[in-house]
Amino acid sequence: MSDRVVETLKPALVAGGVLLFICAGGLLGWLRQPRELRLDPPAAADLDQFRLMHNGISGTPPQSYFALGKPYEADAYNLSQGKRLYSWFGCPACHGDGRGGVGPSFLDGWWLYGPEMVSIVASIRDGRPHGMPAFRDKMTIEQIWQLAGYVQTIGSYTPKVAAPSRNDDKNSRPAENRGPAIIMFDEGPTGAHFDQGPSP
Amino acid sequence: MTPKDNREIRDTAFDAAELERRLAATWTTPPGLLGALSTVDHKIIGRRYITTAFVFLALGGLLSLLMRLQLAQPEARFIGPDRYNQIFTTHGTNMMFLFAVPVMQAMAIYLVPLMVGTRNIAFPRLNAFSYWMYLAGGLLLWIAFVLDTGPDVGWFAYVPLAGPQYAAGKRADIWAQMITFTEVSALAVAVEIVVTVFKQRAPGMSLDRIPLFVWSMLVTSFLVILAMPAIMIASTSLILDRLVGTHFFNPAEGGDALLWQHLFWFFGHPEVYIIFLPAVGMVSTIVATFTRRPVFGYLGMVMALIATGVLAFGLWVHHMFVAGLPRLGESFFTASSMAIAVPAGLQIFCWLATMWAGKPIFKTPLLFVIGFIVIFVIGGLTGVMVASVPFDTQVHDTYFVVAHFHYVLVGGAVFPLLGAIYYWFPKLTGRMLNETTGRWVFGLIFTGFNLTFFPMHILGLRGMPRRIYTYQPEMPWSGLNMFISLSAIVLAAGFLLFFIDAIRSARAGATASANPWGATTLEWATPSPPPSYNFAKLPLVDSLEPIHDDAFLPAAIGLRVDRRELLITSVVEAAPEARESSSGDSIWPLWAALATTVALIWSIFSPWAVVWGSIPVAIALIGWFWPKDVPEDDS
Repeated sequence: MSDRVVETLKPALVAGGVLLFICAGGLLGWLRQPRELRLDPPAAADLDQFRLMHNGISGTPPQSYFALGKPYEADAYNLSQGKRLYSWFGCPACHGDGRGGVGPSFLDGWWLYGPEMVSIVASIRDGRPHGMPAFRDKMTIEQIWQLAGYVQTIGSYTPKVAAPSRNDDKNSRPAENRGPAIIMFDEGPTGAHFDQGPSP
Repeated sequence: MTPKDNREIRDTAFDAAELERRLAATWTTPPGLLGALSTVDHKIIGRRYITTAFVFLALGGLLSLLMRLQLAQPEARFIGPDRYNQIFTTHGTNMMFLFAVPVMQAMAIYLVPLMVGTRNIAFPRLNAFSYWMYLAGGLLLWIAFVLDTGPDVGWFAYVPLAGPQYAAGKRADIWAQMITFTEVSALAVAVEIVVTVFKQRAPGMSLDRIPLFVWSMLVTSFLVILAMPAIMIASTSLILDRLVGTHFFNPAEGGDALLWQHLFWFFGHPEVYIIFLPAVGMVSTIVATFTRRPVFGYLGMVMALIATGVLAFGLWVHHMFVAGLPRLGESFFTASSMAIAVPAGLQIFCWLATMWAGKPIFKTPLLFVIGFIVIFVIGGLTGVMVASVPFDTQVHDTYFVVAHFHYVLVGGAVFPLLGAIYYWFPKLTGRMLNETTGRWVFGLIFTGFNLTFFPMHILGLRGMPRRIYTYQPEMPWSGLNMFISLSAIVLAAGFLLFFIDAIRSARAGATASANPWGATTLEWATPSPPPSYNFAKLPLVDSLEPIHDDAFLPAAIGLRVDRRELLITSVVEAAPEARESSSGDSIWPLWAALATTVALIWSIFSPWAVVWGSIPVAIALIGWFWPKDVPEDDS
């Protein structure tokens, strides 16, 4: 008789188990950051309010950036948007596929103004000496953060799970998701920046 | 074993009660959690499969209600575009891969061994493994969905939208890997069914005495075996493109984006028949039982099944008419798409002839069959319409297509399936579903379905595209959309009533006799629900209708009762060939499925998962096949 009860309860147990799994996932999903296709205008405006050190290297992102969960460094959607902006706004003209050209390389392990997001955002927004133009009138601040996140990913020291994959184009090097850029750091025979001490 | 000491443990040596006691001791799954996790009984696994598939049906239905809520009014703000993309993708993927195909195979897992008169399905441990893989794949999709990382690229995941450049994150990978899970499980079941039907039929069940449902599952299984490898190649190539940076679908490096559509639809169109052919078998069975006569034109029905199965592989391009193909190709596939109406029409006329000549008893299963005929014919007619290139070019990607395929799939598969559940519920649970409630369920679902989906034809002709999350108030769509959303509530109420009835009847329904409908196929000649060994003595089949007065001719076989043993028969004549042992319970299929799950999910994130993940899989398989010193091992 108890066999019979077990038998009739089994479907309910299976259904309950499936639902329990899904509810647990739902709780996690509720804690997760949703994909922001268009940021709230006030939140976007706040992204402009980061503070730089006086030498223009490193600084503090706005508080709201942390409240959002640092989306431009670790969110696959924003990074892939950044990758698209990288080609749309002509970055390859000077930086190539990340290996540099007229402009500096992102793949050699060296960051002239440091690897922090705010430095890269400032470089794109305000420009830098020796030829880096300012993009503040060409892109929204949200796009600049997306692009900065992608540029940081090109030369990141540690792998990012969310790094973008290859484009449907001719590809000259493995895409960012194939591992950290550190495995591709190329200093050349004497090191690209011998004046700045040993390699990282 | 020497002949001397197994002579007295054959089934011919005992009287009925002693035989049943000994068989039960050999075949019954032990109670407890370990027993439940390691069972290889096709009836327990089949019930599990069916229940899980219906849970996924309910979840997918909830998603469709969410979509109807969002579309009821123009510019509604319940669901944003990103979430809406995930919802319609998960709805389609869930209904096709986690409900429709598995539930049909699940019915076969439960019924085919009973209908061919054997004691268990072929490769019973593979059967257990396939269920765990299916469950893991379903959980993968649904957990990803509630984690807000559900696939958002449509259920067919066209590249380049689903490719590495445009589908950011792991959403498309989860879709592709979920495909791998369900394909592994579907292929496993297909192989089991083919072997069961070819080699384990009861003696005397020659090819022309196989019940039509078994025929339909045999053809379906061959379709699965031939079609699913295409989608496995496609989804694996997609994952490789996305993760490793291969160029299968990258035109710039010599790949081809159109290749995806060919591979997908070479699977995707037979998929429609993988869902529909089992329904044909169910309908034939129900019609025969409730008209009290065999189905008209048995040979024609079998030929139509096989013809549909063959033609199914010559149609896939009609999904790609607007992809810019050569005119000759379009004309050829228009012709072949219209040709499939011939075997389908033959089947419809055979059923009509059967009902015409018989005395139909209008119980709930037959009501669903009649609903099926009406809805499927409408869906078939719009199918012939969209098979014509100029018309298809007009309505492609509109709600006309949505209406068409819901008519074909819900009409062609869900209605027969619900009829089949009402019909076989006593065999599944030992209890009857409530007949009065059943009529209400049928009425609500039939009315709700037509009111929901028929207006979608009109919406499509008025130009409403598929997959949009909202529309502007100026568009002439809002009235019909509100009507559709309200009708969807009627449809949902019908399903809710069905689920309530099913759960209530499984616990406290009227107890069913062995053969409550007076049917003539073998599964009704054993108690409801059947004992673990299915048949105390294997049946001898002398005709298409082997049951006379609720009993069959027992065959004197001489199978051993101290170990799980079944009879192998020849493919054509089903003449006895050998006694073969059938594997006992084992926990290893579960471990193997868990190890495979870890490897497959891990491989979304790193290609090295294939290397390191294969080690636990290998260990689990070694454990699976290691001789356990049980009687089944010594054949």
